[in-house]
Amino acid sequence: MEKKDKNLNEKIAELDKKVEWFYSDDFELEKAVDKYKEAASLAKEIEKDLTELKNEIEVLSEDFTK
Amino acid sequence: MENSFTPTEFIAVVNQTLEYAYAGVTIVGEVASFKVNQGKWVFFDIKDEESSISCFMTLWAMRQPIEDGMKVVVKGVPKLTKWGKFSLTVSQVAPVGEGSLKKAYEMLKKKLSLEGLFDESKKREIPKYLDKIGVISSTQAAGYADFIKIINARWGGMKVVVAHTQVQGMDAPDQIIRALNYFNERGDVQAIAILRGGGSKDDLSCFNDEQLTRAVAASKIPVITGIGHEVDESLVDLAADVRASTPSNAAEMLTPDRKEETRKVQQKMSRVSEELMNGVRQATNDNREKIEKVSRGLLTRYIEPKLNDVRKTMSDILLNIKREFELKENDLKQKVKLLSALNPEVVLKQGYAILSGKISPGSVVKITTFDSEITTLIQEITKRRKDGKEG
Repeated sequence: MEKKDKNLNEKIAELDKKVEWFYSDDFELEKAVDKYKEAASLAKEIEKDLTELKNEIEVLSEDFTK
Repeated sequence: MENSFTPTEFIAVVNQTLEYAYAGVTIVGEVASFKVNQGKWVFFDIKDEESSISCFMTLWAMRQPIEDGMKVVVKGVPKLTKWGKFSLTVSQVAPVGEGSLKKAYEMLKKKLSLEGLFDESKKREIPKYLDKIGVISSTQAAGYADFIKIINARWGGMKVVVAHTQVQGMDAPDQIIRALNYFNERGDVQAIAILRGGGSKDDLSCFNDEQLTRAVAASKIPVITGIGHEVDESLVDLAADVRASTPSNAAEMLTPDRKEETRKVQQKMSRVSEELMNGVRQATNDNREKIEKVSRGLLTRYIEPKLNDVRKTMSDILLNIKREFELKENDLKQKVKLLSALNPEVVLKQGYAILSGKISPGSVVKITTFDSEITTLIQEITKRRKDGKEG
């Protein structure tokens, strides 16, 4: 559920965090395969978003002349 | 005395008439006799070759500096003062024409620079990845259309909230200020873009408005400007956190390129794969070393002594077998030797003879020697004594 609520920017930030783990002191080979699978799945999701997502344009109804 | 007025009444009637006939008049002319009284009241004349009109306004309403000789446009209401002097109460004044615009621009730039409004140290960075941005522009402007087209081509998933305002003319600065205040009060956008396509110096002069420049500098939310073209520099540009050369350039600066980002994501994963493989290789090497070390330890401590025991046992066994074999061999040799001694041929060779046939007197028997066979008749048989004596 939480994953669905994340926007593209949050997903990119999350991927960066996951990627950083591989270069950090926390790296453990035993956990690396699962971590890699998670990162790869997220990367795929981001690539899909990058292809499909559109911006939402809202023109305000407020009158700024007064 | 019909239709007679007191001076006050007459002035009031004239002012009513003027206000009705010229609720708002715009006059373009040259400034003369400019002065500021008590730091808040501004007086000047606006004139051409033949005529001159007195003007009055508050210093607060003066949005760009003016001085004698400048060509300006004024908006105001004609009025007769209580002294019977005709005057224009000015609500707005702005320089027009390249020379005046430049002069006003330089004067205000100097003033605001001294106040530190354009200091580089005050500039804030606009986040790379934006979820929501505010745009202040005219939705009918070509620059706005270019901006939207480019952000849509480059990026997705972003909310763009657009405040439609004038971006040209004397009313534009106040509208833009209201929109800036609106976004700052909302507080939910991460950046505000003020956009306007190319135009003449007069068209763009609203972006040299003092209050607008101050509002941009004071914005709590970072502001990016994309006004005019590369060569057009306004005071609002200088006060903004980021200046883009055009609305299209602002779109590029606010959004990453989706193709580039896709490539970056792929690169990241490729590097991670490599890192993972390095980890696996390293672990393999580490373990190999460990295994080799353990093997060497096991070999030295347990296997080598056992091997030595085995070797010794094997050696003992082999030695025993060899001994056994030698004994058997000697025994065999003895037996062969014995057998050889019992060979009839050997016995015959030693001079003995073999008698075969029925041993009885009168029988014919065969005597075999080493080199002959003899047939003979037995004449007599006597008992032989074992001590070699005849019986």
